[in-house]
Amino acid sequence: MLRVGGVSKRFGGLVVLRSVSFQVDEGAIVGLIGPNGSGKTTMFNVITGFHPPDAGDVVFMRRRLVGLPPFQIARAGIARTFQVVRPFVGLTTTDNVAAAVLYGRGVRHVREARAEARHWLQYVGLAGAVDAPVSVLTLGGKKRLELARALATGPRLLLLDEVFAGLNPAESEGAVALVRRIRDELGITVLLVEHVIRIVMGLCEHVVVLGSGQVIAQGSPAAIQADPQVRHIYLGEGFDAAG
Amino acid sequence: MSRAVAAGLVVVLLLLPWVGTGEYPLALLYSTFMYAALAVAWNVIGGFAGYLSFGHATFFGLGGYTTGLFLVRTGLSPFLTAPLGAAVAAGFAALAGYPCLRLRGPYFAVVTMILGLAVRAVILNLPWTGAAEGLWMTLPPWEPLVARRAFYYAMLAVALVTALAGRAVRLGKMGVGLEAIREDEEAAQSIGVPVVRLKMSALILSAGLTGLVGGIYAYDRSYIHPDFMFDLHLSVLAVLMALLGGRQSWAGPILGAVVVRLVDELLTVRVGTEAARIIFGLGLALVIVLLPDGLLPHLERLRRRAPRPPAAVPAAEARL
Repeated sequence: MLRVGGVSKRFGGLVVLRSVSFQVDEGAIVGLIGPNGSGKTTMFNVITGFHPPDAGDVVFMRRRLVGLPPFQIARAGIARTFQVVRPFVGLTTTDNVAAAVLYGRGVRHVREARAEARHWLQYVGLAGAVDAPVSVLTLGGKKRLELARALATGPRLLLLDEVFAGLNPAESEGAVALVRRIRDELGITVLLVEHVIRIVMGLCEHVVVLGSGQVIAQGSPAAIQADPQVRHIYLGEGFDAAG
Repeated sequence: MSRAVAAGLVVVLLLLPWVGTGEYPLALLYSTFMYAALAVAWNVIGGFAGYLSFGHATFFGLGGYTTGLFLVRTGLSPFLTAPLGAAVAAGFAALAGYPCLRLRGPYFAVVTMILGLAVRAVILNLPWTGAAEGLWMTLPPWEPLVARRAFYYAMLAVALVTALAGRAVRLGKMGVGLEAIREDEEAAQSIGVPVVRLKMSALILSAGLTGLVGGIYAYDRSYIHPDFMFDLHLSVLAVLMALLGGRQSWAGPILGAVVVRLVDELLTVRVGTEAARIIFGLGLALVIVLLPDGLLPHLERLRRRAPRPPAAVPAAEARL
């Protein structure tokens, strides 16, 4: 569904991505992991068009994405959340999501968009915060709001940038269940950046490991945990996901 | 404001010149319409999209010079050519907007202000615009009262068009998109908002409406000069009226304009021009510091708290 081929990106003299290639299959939940500064968020920004790559190709459902502005990539069916939440604070929760319905899916009428927005707010568990100002939401609530906003664009592929970071264990468990539901019920493919390895190993079917801007390993969670290079660079020699 | 109240108000305004209203009230209302139109037009880009322009006098002046030059060169009445004034202002916005709208916050404010000064300097030096001598127009041989009525209706029409445009933008799809842009442009792009196209449209619409106002105003002055057609004071006033009334809603700037115009007039008549400016400036500063959302949201809150007259309730429901 998504094929990243030989993508390189540098900022000035700093090479952030070095010929990165990987693939996301339709219907999968894929994890993108790696130490801080390994290029995960930059990879997201390349896919979503915020940073044009210096070399390489991004192909989504047989369509080349390189060179398209972010809003067209969103309309092509790729939605994202941000590492640091970025809700529209001056708008109500409903209008945050209604904007995505209007512009992501091309709905024309605000009233119709708001009705649909309320549905998405309920879907992500914010039924109690419909039409409320964003400021009433906790961090977990804001993350759910961003998720609702992303879903409302009608994506085929959802990019989640550390949605579990900063959540307490209960919130985090709820978020894991929600991501599974999004894939199982809505059939949306998920690519997620995550630092909480336990979650990645439990949730993802395929894991891509970045280290200093290069893919150092990819495969099933079990294979990744067994990979000596990944253990050395990222997980730590004594790592055990069960522990 | 309910639809019935608004319609009633418009009818009253339409009939007003025929119930023995003199030149002074007509002139006062004319300038109130003008200020309201300027504030509502400014708000489309400045309020909804959050791009604080301090250069709207540029569009006003371009509109005014367009109708003025058409009148002098071809004899066509500004009442007919005002839309051309709007088109010239909008065209200029389309050219200037692309580079300017890459800037945000104070940078955008400063660049729009400087652009206004630049256009003014150009007009001051172009011989075919009358340059520093200004441009004289001849009005038809109307009685003073007839002239006042004509301009009253012309500016009322402009204000209504502007208010309807502002309302349509605010309540429609574009309004939601502009708000998203105001809050976070990258997040807006990530959900499919065509950010560049949308803010360009907002600026072009805002400039066009402002040019329309300038086109009528120039004719009423019948003499135009860059000093007051591209007056920075006018740019600042548009910002102030919108902020004072409340820039989140389409009607807020109208309220701001009415308050500014009437208070200004009252003070000028009662305490004299200079003292009026001082009191007025302080008052504005206070309101903006104490009520950053403007007056309208607070008025609405007061109204909601007040008990409703029972008769109004079934009427409101019947309309739904």
